[in-house]
Amino acid sequence: MTTQAAGALAPAPAQRKRPIGLLLVAVPVLLVLWLIIWPIIAAMIQTIWLPTSDGGRGFSVSSYQFFASDPYSRSNLAITLWTTGVCAALLLVVCLPIALYLRFSDSRIAAYVQGLAIFPMFVPSIILSFAFIRVLGPNGTVDLLLNSVGLPKIKSPYLTPWGPVIGLVWDNIPLTVLILLSGLGNVSNQAIEAARDVGAGRFALLWHIILPRISNSILVAISFAVLGIFSAFTLPYVLGPAAPEMMGPFMQRTFRDLFDPTNALTQAVITFAFCILFGLFYVRSVAKNRTP
Amino acid sequence: MKRRHFLISAASIAAGVTIMPRMTFAAEGVIDVYFTSDQNVIDFWTNVVKPKFEAANAGLTLNLVDGGDGAGVAAIGDRALAALASGTDPQADLFEGFDTRVTVDGIAKGLYVDFEKAGLSNYSKINPLAFDIPTNLPYRGSQVLLAYDTTKLDPANVPKTWADLVAWIKANPGQFIYNRPNKGGSGGNFVRRAIYEVNGKDPGKFTVDNFTPEFGAEALKPAFDMLLELAPSLFDGGAYTSGNTQSLQLLGQSAVTMIPAWSDQALSAIAQGVLPETTGLVQLQDLGLPGGFTKLAVLSNGTNKDAALKLADFLLTEEIQSAVLTELGGFPGVSWDYVSADLREKFADIIPQTIPNFPSGKWETAINDGWYRAVAPNVDPAS
Repeated sequence: MTTQAAGALAPAPAQRKRPIGLLLVAVPVLLVLWLIIWPIIAAMIQTIWLPTSDGGRGFSVSSYQFFASDPYSRSNLAITLWTTGVCAALLLVVCLPIALYLRFSDSRIAAYVQGLAIFPMFVPSIILSFAFIRVLGPNGTVDLLLNSVGLPKIKSPYLTPWGPVIGLVWDNIPLTVLILLSGLGNVSNQAIEAARDVGAGRFALLWHIILPRISNSILVAISFAVLGIFSAFTLPYVLGPAAPEMMGPFMQRTFRDLFDPTNALTQAVITFAFCILFGLFYVRSVAKNRTP
Repeated sequence: MKRRHFLISAASIAAGVTIMPRMTFAAEGVIDVYFTSDQNVIDFWTNVVKPKFEAANAGLTLNLVDGGDGAGVAAIGDRALAALASGTDPQADLFEGFDTRVTVDGIAKGLYVDFEKAGLSNYSKINPLAFDIPTNLPYRGSQVLLAYDTTKLDPANVPKTWADLVAWIKANPGQFIYNRPNKGGSGGNFVRRAIYEVNGKDPGKFTVDNFTPEFGAEALKPAFDMLLELAPSLFDGGAYTSGNTQSLQLLGQSAVTMIPAWSDQALSAIAQGVLPETTGLVQLQDLGLPGGFTKLAVLSNGTNKDAALKLADFLLTEEIQSAVLTELGGFPGVSWDYVSADLREKFADIIPQTIPNFPSGKWETAINDGWYRAVAPNVDPAS
């Protein structure tokens, strides 16, 4: 690790021209430009270049003004931010111990734990939603089990903001664990043993040796999870309350049930603006890692 | 981007590439039917209509395609209109659960068969209440009714009028839930019944083109106020499920005592054991919960147009119409005189003489938006 060199770019090595390499890269880049970047730009233009009363089109930010002045829209944005924040915090609390265990345990059970942690990746979210209603819903499996030992029922999180939170956290465990695990690969056993030799306790080990080495992975894991959660659709739609809605179901309803593409696009652009903030964190940390 | 999403899209692109060369032309004798309806209707076609029709018409087979929803089949309709202009094969013959008005210019350009002129032998049997426009052929009906748990509510005490229902909901807090009106017709028509209630119980007051913002506010506001007042007495102090199926699930889990439900979905749920046999069904007697007839359309430029018309005629026979009642749990599209007498007797209790049918169009948008703003947000997000 040459941390002292971080920040100062090394002189670029003289490279031969490699047109084939560029050609190979061109396909994904063009696809991204065509299928992602262009629709974003088109959407932005459509939301600020609105039809005017005389039949033409003109510059206007009225759809954004409406969003900002509409308490219903604002509360939908607020619940989306709340859900994303709570999910990110819970994911870290749940996944970091799992990843640490998987990294430092040599036992046979670790393999099973890893399989279990990756399992949610293979469960479609619509199946997860209905399973959730069966298990945590009113008179679901949990209630039946509690009832059989004479305990009172739980207050079901179904149709409350906690429904999507539980579902989304479960759904995002695999990706978060995998990214944290790859980050923990950077923590060498020698460093840990050296710290132990000078008498570091478990907490000091975590705080001074492990966390600084994986801070980048944590950032990447959280930005990945946040990007997915912010625009989630199925879980908040099936498990969440009717109002406030998260941005995903809100956009879909505005577009499909209210036939209002302009406001749906405005909501999409606002969602994208928040996502790009988290995306920048990710890009920044990747760029930092690439610095020689 | 999740890896799962990537894998799924990569796999579907690969699958699409392999089947692409085979999907160029519609086959002669294979009627392509596209559905907007739910799985229970497609199951009914697979298990009842398809075998009976194919047995009666040698050489003809049905290809049943789930179009997903209204928008999915509307896209096929737009494609068929383009095919009509270029004189090519639309690769579709019949749309189930479709309103031909949805295809812009489709009727004017003659894309859909005019059933008044198509000469169907059973056309005159259709229930006069069900007629809409000549390019829409009604073949089955469905209505929302109340499904309840007879172990918790004695059928003798079940509410029979709207006022009784409201009184019952308030006297039994937490025992009733309906779904969001835009996410399924059972909750949607419950909301529409409330709108009728505050507007003199007169379905004739609302037509597809009489919506104005002023009349909309005047007609809908008191209904939303009434529903908002009801909210604290609903399940969980004002929760709303996100679809017909989820309401059935809550009734099945005994979490609530009563829900509004589609007649066909409730009957097939009971038949399949999703709802217990102790489930009771009741319709309000002062004015029923709304419902409507499901229509189908036949494309005039389909390769198998004549066979599709034969199928449309077949659907109106007593054999299929009785099966709609017994197998699907829907209502016949033909007049009651054209189903067998014992069935008429058996179902007389839950089937009223009229089915109120709330118009869509701008009314639908106003209800979908207004309900979310006026009724839904009564739950404190922090609770």
